[in-house]
Amino acid sequence: MWHIAKRELYDNLNSLRFALATVLLLGLMLTNAAVYLHEQPKRTQKYNAAVTESVNDLTVRADSLYTLAREGPGLLYKKPSSLRFCAEGGEPFLPNVVGGAFLWSISGGLKGFWRLNYPSTTPNLTDIRPNVTKVDWAFIIGYVLSLIAILFTFDAISGERELGTLRLMLANPMPRYTILIGKFLGALISIGIPLTLAVLMNLLLISTSSAVQLGPDAWERLGIIFFIAILYTGLFLALGLLVSTCVSRSAVSLVILLLIWVTFVVFVPSTLASIAGGFSSPMSTDELWQRRGELYAKRWERYDAYFAERVERSKEIQFKGEHVIAEAEEQERVNEEHLAQQIDQVKFARRTTQISPIAIAQHLIESFAGTGFERHLQFLENTRTHARQFRKFIADTDSGDPESSHIIGIRQGMSEKPVSPAAVPKFEDTLNLNQDFNAAMMDLLLLVLLFVVLLSGAYLAFVRVEV
Amino acid sequence: MLKTLIGRELLDNLMTFRFAAAVFITLLLVVANTVVLLKDYEQRLTAYTTAVQESHEELREEKTYSGYGGALIVHRPPNPLSIFNLGLDKQVGNKIEVYHAFVPTIWDAEKHGADNPFLNLFTSIDIVLVFQGVLSLLALIFAYDALAGERERGTLRLVLTHPIQRGYILFAKYISAMLCLLVPLLISLLLSIILLTTSTKVALNTDDFLRIGGIVLTSLLYVSLFYLIGLCISAITRRTSTALMLCMFVWGVLVLVYPNLILTAVEITPKPDAKISVYNQIKQTWEEFEREKKQFIRNDAVLSRPSRGGEDMDAGFGLEGVEYTFWKDEDKPSILLYFHQTGLYAGKIKAESEPQVPHVQNYYNFYNRETVNIVERTWLVRKPALEAIYVQPANLGRMLLRFSPVGLYDAATEAWAGTDLKGIQDFFSTVQRHRRAVVDYFYDKKIFESRQWFAADKGTVDWDTLPQFSFQRSDTGINAKRALPDMLLLLTMNVILFMVILLIFIKSEV
Repeated sequence: MWHIAKRELYDNLNSLRFALATVLLLGLMLTNAAVYLHEQPKRTQKYNAAVTESVNDLTVRADSLYTLAREGPGLLYKKPSSLRFCAEGGEPFLPNVVGGAFLWSISGGLKGFWRLNYPSTTPNLTDIRPNVTKVDWAFIIGYVLSLIAILFTFDAISGERELGTLRLMLANPMPRYTILIGKFLGALISIGIPLTLAVLMNLLLISTSSAVQLGPDAWERLGIIFFIAILYTGLFLALGLLVSTCVSRSAVSLVILLLIWVTFVVFVPSTLASIAGGFSSPMSTDELWQRRGELYAKRWERYDAYFAERVERSKEIQFKGEHVIAEAEEQERVNEEHLAQQIDQVKFARRTTQISPIAIAQHLIESFAGTGFERHLQFLENTRTHARQFRKFIADTDSGDPESSHIIGIRQGMSEKPVSPAAVPKFEDTLNLNQDFNAAMMDLLLLVLLFVVLLSGAYLAFVRVEV
Repeated sequence: MLKTLIGRELLDNLMTFRFAAAVFITLLLVVANTVVLLKDYEQRLTAYTTAVQESHEELREEKTYSGYGGALIVHRPPNPLSIFNLGLDKQVGNKIEVYHAFVPTIWDAEKHGADNPFLNLFTSIDIVLVFQGVLSLLALIFAYDALAGERERGTLRLVLTHPIQRGYILFAKYISAMLCLLVPLLISLLLSIILLTTSTKVALNTDDFLRIGGIVLTSLLYVSLFYLIGLCISAITRRTSTALMLCMFVWGVLVLVYPNLILTAVEITPKPDAKISVYNQIKQTWEEFEREKKQFIRNDAVLSRPSRGGEDMDAGFGLEGVEYTFWKDEDKPSILLYFHQTGLYAGKIKAESEPQVPHVQNYYNFYNRETVNIVERTWLVRKPALEAIYVQPANLGRMLLRFSPVGLYDAATEAWAGTDLKGIQDFFSTVQRHRRAVVDYFYDKKIFESRQWFAADKGTVDWDTLPQFSFQRSDTGINAKRALPDMLLLLTMNVILFMVILLIFIKSEV
């Protein structure tokens, strides 16, 4: 087997395609690194500036617990991933911030309390530049590497058959699967060499630069991404071998492979996503506003009904506090519902695209690079956790003040002592490799399954093939 | 003789597997995507009609003329030809406010019918994109063995023994392959047009069919260019497998890698310093105006009486019957938009305030006219700055894309469809003209200085005589003019490549 693999390897190393693949991969990877090094410091700087501003705002509010509770912790920013060069993940289309809202006045002359509020507009409406895919690892692996894999295997069997060397090889006393596996390994290694080289150059450039630091966690993630790249290449090599075995002429084999490639890699993901996205119609922004308005009006009615009779002063404050809090909670719940429906639509669309291996690979790379949609969901989850922590902090601090009557939601019922800004919980937008790994497990298994199916298909076809 | 040659080549090509596969895959992709695009277009059209209706009603609810700010909104209809090339049709805003205090531009526009913004994560595929990827690939697949294959099989030698000029052979090959490639192109386009006409919502007129014709012509040039690239490779290589390999790499680089790589590598964003200085300049002009306004109020003995709120009009100049005062501000440094406007709404002005009313009218006359002047002045600074910040980088990007045939093809079809930057800008210049027309109407009817500007008690506001907004897509002639440079470039490349191949082929030994 190794003998065949070695022979294949030598064949490939001397070929034009090897040289072209190497040049292509190196060029792409180096550009990727250079662009990343240029952009990432700016991104981090922007993030840091925004966070500092947000903290400054908080400091101003912290002069009274009531104001802090009412106006909230300020804007919560998504931390830019240091592995952005692996996958852009459509980040320009995703909001990088979750805001809060507080109303200046709600029914009864009361002031509204802070609630989570999600931006619902496209962030880059002002961008009139031509739309292109950024050259990131996901692009290089997903599109270019798969194309190269096809070009390396389309004539693996059919070419030898045409030349007549296949008959010669099969005359040797060795099982057919050794030949197939040998060819597979030979091709894998000969693609692995330029890929590894390109990846190493890319990482060398990035890690030696003082502008960006990659932590140990990042290196683990890079390792996983590299493994995914190899698996994905293997998948396309297996596909190439399968088609090459079934078809007698290599030209036909290439045509079939290219058409499969174009359909599955270029068109299926977006077309299917659009079709699948059309099945559900989530709450529109207009509906959201309408729902909010209805809830608001209902709240107000309840308020008026309560105060239609004479109420004791102590109970009045109690009711007003509850009223303010309930208003904020209701509105937040509608916001959540709106967001959840939008997310479900996208999730379903993404599920559907997973019949295409490139979609699986790109989702995987995205989630390990800490960018893209899954990452955005994690960010949203983090903001929710933070909101809970923040509210708990407010309640705890308030109960620590003996002068307060512990009615959250209204100035008269709450502590108005200044709060130390340092004591307020900080928003931490954390990423967890274990969590990512668990979430991506399904995708990873799916990729492995596809690979195994294709490889065994190639084996079965090759065993039965007549020369 | 030529006929026989073409006939032979045509039969050769038509009976192949690759031809069947080509037709099948193009049809599949085009039809599938047309269905998706059609649905998307219908949704956008519905959103547009609803939005127009809502804006219409919203404006009629306003009781004073000054209330038109924020209520007079125009919408950009979706372009039916965006099904062929989406261009910027979905990317930029389609809802824009018409107001005398700023000049509307692409960057001020928002989106009506807010759909799920997360859906932007999925790239949309239009018909031109399908052609761009699939037809170029097919052209190369048809071309790679045209010469190298015949040479390998030895048939080339046979053909050349006949007393035929080599140019004829080449020409016959070219014509027959193009005929074959035309089949999937035309059938799939026909199918998609049939699909379009079955939809009741898509109304294509004669001009649109001419534009589609332009797109077909451009597609032809594009496909032909890729066929010639393949033929060139086939002429210079000895073996078909090498030719095939080279063709695929060339395709990968031209179609897949180059466009994405070049726009990743070349950063096309402007310098932020220039932006800040222009913004500050605009802001300063407005702040100066604010001071002038205060001075005007101070000079008017009636308005500036301290009991009536003094310089600030927060108290509505002390008019009895003012229900609320409002201010309408925009402050967006990123798009150099800044303005500050104040106003008031009086439901019914009480009799004791009547003597004051002419003074307030006089004030608004000054304020509104001066606002319009300030807008004109700041626009002179804002316009070139916006060009420098947004348009120039975008044009540079498109320029760089043109180094690949893909970029030329995309730009030319975009121009035909009217979804290119110029096509979109046509809409916004119409909106700018509309704003001007509304302001002129206000001048003519003396609305800026009228009582109805701020009070709802005497005389009614008449929204129906307001200039109506209507937008017509540019003439086919203009589309053609915009597409022509790119088409000519494609044509030139075609001719040059053909000559090169001819030279190589004539000189080559068999």
